[in-house]
Amino acid sequence: MDFSVLMQAIVSGILVGGVYALIGIGLTIIFGVMRVINFGHGDIMMVGMYMTYFLFTLFGVDPFVSVLITMPLMFLFGAILQKVFINRILGSLPQNQILLTIGLGLIMSNTAMLAFTSDYKILTTSYSSSSFNIFGISISEPLLISFLITAAITIGLYWFLLKTDTGQAIRATAQDREAAQLMGINVKWMSILSFGIGSAMAGTAGALISPTYYIFPQVGSAFTLKAFVITVLGGMGSIVGATLGGIIIGLVESVAAVTISSDWKDVVVFSIFLLVLLIKPSGLMGKSRM
Amino acid sequence: MKPTNPLHSQRGASTVRVSAGIAVIAALFAFPQFVESPYILHMMILFFLSTLMGQSWNIIGGYTGQYSVGHAAYFGTGAYTTLILLTTKEIAPWYGMWVGIAASVVLALIIGSICFRLRGPYFVLASIAVAEIVRCTALNLTNLTKGAEGILVVDIPAFKIGETIITDFSSKVPYYYIALVLALVIIGVTWLVQHSKLGYYFQAIREDQDAAHSLGINLTIWKNSALVISAAFTSLAGSFYAIFVKFIDPSTVLPLDLSVQIVLISIIGGIGTIFGPVIGALVLVPLSEALRSNVITEGLIKIGLVSEESGVGIFLKEHLAHAHVLIYGILVVVVILFMPEGVLGYFRKMTTKKKGGEA
Repeated sequence: MDFSVLMQAIVSGILVGGVYALIGIGLTIIFGVMRVINFGHGDIMMVGMYMTYFLFTLFGVDPFVSVLITMPLMFLFGAILQKVFINRILGSLPQNQILLTIGLGLIMSNTAMLAFTSDYKILTTSYSSSSFNIFGISISEPLLISFLITAAITIGLYWFLLKTDTGQAIRATAQDREAAQLMGINVKWMSILSFGIGSAMAGTAGALISPTYYIFPQVGSAFTLKAFVITVLGGMGSIVGATLGGIIIGLVESVAAVTISSDWKDVVVFSIFLLVLLIKPSGLMGKSRM
Repeated sequence: MKPTNPLHSQRGASTVRVSAGIAVIAALFAFPQFVESPYILHMMILFFLSTLMGQSWNIIGGYTGQYSVGHAAYFGTGAYTTLILLTTKEIAPWYGMWVGIAASVVLALIIGSICFRLRGPYFVLASIAVAEIVRCTALNLTNLTKGAEGILVVDIPAFKIGETIITDFSSKVPYYYIALVLALVIIGVTWLVQHSKLGYYFQAIREDQDAAHSLGINLTIWKNSALVISAAFTSLAGSFYAIFVKFIDPSTVLPLDLSVQIVLISIIGGIGTIFGPVIGALVLVPLSEALRSNVITEGLIKIGLVSEESGVGIFLKEHLAHAHVLIYGILVVVVILFMPEGVLGYFRKMTTKKKGGEA
């Protein structure tokens, strides 16, 4: 194995991992506050991808700039989903919650198919395939930009959750819903907020990978699975864990692709997932919720 | 008079029910004598196949409460084993399907030993992960499975007993009877499970694992038994699908979407009941076929709601067929929000309410 090839894989793995982290953070916030595993998470991301695609092709908005529009719109979208659907099943059986989000995901992906056909769409920007060299390692420009934006958003989110009153209320709700309610926190509002934030994160991740990924209605399910792997690895409900988990999964995929074969990288990822579930189901940073 | 279990007294072998059941079965057996339309037969076959799939899942998901969302793994194993044996070793499907069942049972025991250590949502996630590993493996073991290209068979060998040819599969009728028998068998098996000690163990585990465990019910053994029964019949459904459609690839017999559809048949009808999956199949198959075959669009055009030349008409004609899974999504959302016990449970509740009102 050539050392530079491995280094190359590590660098691009970390860069992709940043976007994965964003998807995972969205899922983990939703789970943390509502104990709902969102099986439609990847499909929400798909909505973000299409939004970015049309902003670019119809209005010429650069995909990275479009984050400014996509993020609030996806927040609204998620908040409405929560208010109309998820809110009604918060107390019901976990399997019913899972099935409801699966159903919502199916509706999103199939409506996209109905509206935009199942054709693959490619968003080509002037910098889509450009890259530059540092120490002989080529770094893809769109990946680097998306990584930097991801980092900025993640830091902003940390700040929001740690320093603002609303952020602390969200964390309190995640820690103990009843106690939070007794302290006068409007937990229903926190649920709507957190589903909105989770969807905004997924949608933003969709916007950020649009320049380097195919856009099609069924793209979501692969990312839903990835989001599960990331959040379980990091610990369900832990934002630091999801950040770490995203980077680790990005790395594993990328390194497995060059050391084993890119055909088997998903098998490697899912095997790690099973191992984590069996050995330490609470994940790297989480407390066991079993 | 035989002593009856009070829980099942209304379900007891009342003469009306039994004779109605026999009449329906007789009508279904006579059906192909009167209806020759291959399209209708095709729909009926899909209905029986969906019943088989939904009912198989019902045993592990509905009765035992273990929500496996990875049943495509067994469906695909049955389908692949049958067709690989047929194309490479020329082993006829009715032998191949037994090998498929054996392979699925082994797979179920492996999956069970991994996933049954986990509970609730973690079990669901693990079952998905294992099924995805199976799918990726099938996609990449190109020597055996031909990968993404898939396996196509042109001729299904004639079904012989001794030297007598029973059928040569030249029409849809033999498939119809095989599917009908399979659907009846799985309904029978479910009935047996529900009325046996096995079924009580399963339901005890569903209601409260820890309580069941403390009463001396061995969780590992009975969960695995339920999974093995479920996997064997799902595998059979896969084998049948393979010889019926004559083409399989990882994206048709192993995807996550298929696992989800299998669950939804059962959920929409009503889980943990004998007729739930039948109702689920009865609701879903015609609806999704109507979308797939553009009947709905043509209907809208015919009654004049949408003009054929208008943009909407052309659009629906071109695209609605691709979105037949949409109906699964809408139905599951409606069912979970408004009829959490499924269509069957909902109507049962409505009728008991009515009776209560009259009394």
